[in-house]
Amino acid sequence: MTVQHKPNTEELVSIAEMVWSSYLDPDGVRPLVVDPAPGWGLGPTDVVATVAISGAWDGRVLLSFSPPAARRASAALLAIAEVDDVGEGDVADAVGELANIIGGSVKSLMPQPTVLSLPAVHTGAFPDLGGEVCRVTGTWDGEPVSVAVHEVAVYVGVSRTGETSQ
Amino acid sequence: MRILIADDSRVMRQIVSRTLRQAGYDGHDLVEVADGKQLYDAAVAQPPDLVLSDWNMPEMNGLEALVAIRAAGIKAPFGFVTTEGSPEMRKKAVDAGAMFLITKPFTAESFRDVLDPILR
Repeated sequence: MTVQHKPNTEELVSIAEMVWSSYLDPDGVRPLVVDPAPGWGLGPTDVVATVAISGAWDGRVLLSFSPPAARRASAALLAIAEVDDVGEGDVADAVGELANIIGGSVKSLMPQPTVLSLPAVHTGAFPDLGGEVCRVTGTWDGEPVSVAVHEVAVYVGVSRTGETSQ
Repeated sequence: MRILIADDSRVMRQIVSRTLRQAGYDGHDLVEVADGKQLYDAAVAQPPDLVLSDWNMPEMNGLEALVAIRAAGIKAPFGFVTTEGSPEMRKKAVDAGAMFLITKPFTAESFRDVLDPILR
């Protein structure tokens, strides 16, 4: 039996730090401060973006920001000087794109072939997906942020004719 | 030069445009499109000098757009700017006629590495 590699916390921290240094803190003045031990990542009003990875490995990558952090991230990506000028559409686009980038990096760690979905963005209470593989929580300018990877169990059945299905 | 930038994320199109400027490529005609179908239509309407395209887009993905653009006889340099950076994806891209693949997140330097031979 082959033991499949799964993303670990260290890899997820590296991915998050790469995204921060590229887009959210390019000058190195407002870094992501990672919690030494991850807490529960999702708040009841958080902006949560997810991407699904499917194929040789099936999972989801979640990125969550508190509402102020989501607006700040959107302002940084869109080079908008005033956070108050950020619209809801900007937030959905920006947080979704960040999840897409993080998802792509997680995907590259996994056995291939896999396919990455387009991002989906949700605001408010988000259900526990279960199957958590690793999670990074922290703060950005004092606002909570989290990134998590969940493995999705894919049911493989055998029909009465012996055909397998997923 | 006319540069087509295709990405379903307006944020990412803006980041690509900004990174081009940060990399020192000012003064080009940057045209943004939001999916592969729009990319194909824009390329056919007025052939570009360079295409920078996301891979994963609705309507028609970047690879499908590249294949359609090549089938239309348009030979402009085509590069992917995408999260999809596995060896398999790179091979698919090159086999379809792409010149390079830049993975997100990217920097102005990673743009210069591949674009200097085209834009300088």
